[in-house]
Amino acid sequence: MPLGREYLLKRLFHLIFVVFGVLIITFIITRVLPARPELLWAGPHATIEQIERARKELHLDEPIYVQLGYYLWGFIRGNWGVSWRTKTPVLNGLLSALPATLELIIFAFSIATVLGVLLGIVAALRRNTMVDSVIQIFSVLGASMPVFWLALIMLYVFSNTLGWLPSSNRVDETLVISTGFHPITGFYLIDSLMQGNFPVFIDVLRHMILPALVLSLYPMGLSARMTRAMMVDVLHEPFIRSALTWGIPKKLVVYKYALKNAVAPVIASLGLSFGYTIIGAFMVELIFVWPGIGLYLAMSLLSFDYPAIMGAVIIVALFYSVINLIVDLIHAWIDPRLRL
Amino acid sequence: MMSEVKALFTLMRKNIVAMVGFILVVAFFVIGIISPYILTRPEDAWGSTFNVSARYLPPSWEHPFGTDEFGRDMFNRVILGARFSLIIAVGVVGLALVLGVPIGLIAGYSGGRLGTILMRLTDMFLAFPPLLLAIALAATLGRGLANAIIALALSWWPWYARLVYVQVNTVKNMPYVDAARVLGLDSFTIMFRHVLPNALTPVVIQASLDMGSAVLEAAGLSFLGIGVQPPTPEWGLLVSEGWQSINVAWWISFFPGLAIVTTVLGFNLLAEFAREFMDPRLRITMMAKRWFK
Repeated sequence: MPLGREYLLKRLFHLIFVVFGVLIITFIITRVLPARPELLWAGPHATIEQIERARKELHLDEPIYVQLGYYLWGFIRGNWGVSWRTKTPVLNGLLSALPATLELIIFAFSIATVLGVLLGIVAALRRNTMVDSVIQIFSVLGASMPVFWLALIMLYVFSNTLGWLPSSNRVDETLVISTGFHPITGFYLIDSLMQGNFPVFIDVLRHMILPALVLSLYPMGLSARMTRAMMVDVLHEPFIRSALTWGIPKKLVVYKYALKNAVAPVIASLGLSFGYTIIGAFMVELIFVWPGIGLYLAMSLLSFDYPAIMGAVIIVALFYSVINLIVDLIHAWIDPRLRL
Repeated sequence: MMSEVKALFTLMRKNIVAMVGFILVVAFFVIGIISPYILTRPEDAWGSTFNVSARYLPPSWEHPFGTDEFGRDMFNRVILGARFSLIIAVGVVGLALVLGVPIGLIAGYSGGRLGTILMRLTDMFLAFPPLLLAIALAATLGRGLANAIIALALSWWPWYARLVYVQVNTVKNMPYVDAARVLGLDSFTIMFRHVLPNALTPVVIQASLDMGSAVLEAAGLSFLGIGVQPPTPEWGLLVSEGWQSINVAWWISFFPGLAIVTTVLGFNLLAEFAREFMDPRLRITMMAKRWFK
C-alpha cells in the first residue's frame, strides 16, 4: 500500500528539522562551549599566528548568528575542516572510510536478523522450558556486555591464541597485490565477487566474521526477544489454530503464516539497535584495526583531532537520522495505523 | 507510590531472575560504598605504586585477579573501581533527572508554544545515537570524572524529559488537578505539589534501572580515552589499560570487564522484571500466578 504524500512530507520536514538540530548542537559544542574555540581548532602545538588565523577562519570576531551562518554554509559546501592528524579534508577521510563501516554493520545485522529470528521462534515454540530461559538470558547478556571488552576477549581467544582468524584490517595486503584485487565500490565482499576473485572474497569474509559477530550480539538478542514476544501472541490467534485444525503441517504454519507477523518487530528491533550498533562499531573497529568511520573517530579522539571528531559526529548523527526515517517509513508502510 | 514499591518487592521475591538481578545490584551498591575501607592493598588500588618484581603476575591466591604492568594488584583495583562506577551512575542519572524532569514537566503542563519549543529541543538531542553526543561533549570538555558525568548527563536528560512529558499529559487532566486549579492555587504549586508526585513513579523506576547503562557508557568513554583519567581504577579504563598487553596478561582486561558485565546484567535483569511489572496486563498475570500457587 503506498504511503500518503502528506505523511511523507511530514516525515521529510521532521528530518530536515532534526538535521538542523544536529548542526545547531554541534555548533554549540564547537563554538560556544569551549572557553577559546580557536585554541582547540588550531591544535595542541599551534603558534600564535596559527591561533590568530584560526580565529579569523572561525569568524570569532563576528556576532554569534553570523558565525552560525558561516558554519552552516561551510557544512553545505562540504568544507568540514582539515584533519590535524592526516592533514587531509575531513569529509574526504570520512567518505573513504564509510563503505568499510557500512559493510561491517550490514553484515552484522544480517547475522543478527537470521539468528535472532530463529532463536525467537525456538524460544516461542518451547515457551517456559529450559531452552526458552537460556535464550532469554543470552539476549539480556548481549545487552549487558561492553562491546569493546567482548571484542578484546574474542580477539585474544580466536586470533591471538588459537590463530583461527586474522586479527586486524579488512583483507590481507599481500593477497590483494598477488591477485590484483582493486576496490570499486569499497564494499570488499561485492568487489571481490564482481571480479571473480574468490581467494580475496574468502579472506575478506575471514576478516569480517569476528568483528561482525561481536557487533551482532546486541541486535540479535533484541530481535530474538521481539520475535519471541510476537510469536507467543500470534500462535494463540484463531487463524493459526484454524490453520492447524485444517491439518496444515505445523512447520508450514509457523514458518509461513505466523512468521509473516515477525517482520514488523524485527524491523523495529533493528531500528532500535542501530544507534547502539554504530557506536559499538567504533570500539570494534578500534580493536580490530578496521579502517572505517569508527577507527577514524577513535584515532581522532586519541590525538584530540578536533575537526575530525566533529565531522565524524555529524556524519554519524545524520546517518542515524536517515536510518530512523527509513525504519519509520517501512513501519508505516507495513502498519497503516502508525501513519497518524 | 509507596504501595506500588511494596507490591514490586513482594512480586520480586517470587521471581528468581529478578532476585538475581536485585542481589547483583545490591552487591554493586554495597561494594561501591564500602570499597575504600576494605582494600587489602590501598596503594595499589589508588594506583600510586610501582612494584617491578610483581609485574604481570597471573591470578593466584595472593592476587586473585593477577597484577598489571606496574605490579599493582588487580583485585584491589577492580574493587575500588566499583566506587567510581557508582559515583558515575548516580551522578549521571541524578543530573539527567534534574535537567530532564523540570523540562518535561513544564512542557507537559503548560503545553502550547512553550511546550512545543521545549519538546522540539528534546527531539534535537534525541537525534544523536546514544553515547555519540557524550563523545563530542567529553572531547570538548576534556578528561576527568566530573566532565564525564556532565557529558553523559547532557546526552541523557532528553529521555527523562520525554517520559515525564508523557506522564504529565495523562495526569494533568485528572479531576484532582482541576480541583486544585479551582481552589486558585498557582501553576507552580500545582505542577510540583500535585502533578509531579503522581507522574514520578515510572520515571524513578526507569532512572534507577538506567544506572546500568550509565556504567556501560561511562566505561565506553574511558575506553576511548576521553573519560576518567589514569591512574583512577575505573573499569572501562582498566580494560583499556590491559589492551596492549592482552597477549602477555589477559587478566588485566578480563576481570574489570567481567565486573562491568555483572553489574550491568544485574540492572538489566531487574529492568526486565520491572517492564513486566509496569505493563498492567502482565502485572495481573504475575499477581494471579502468585495467588494461585
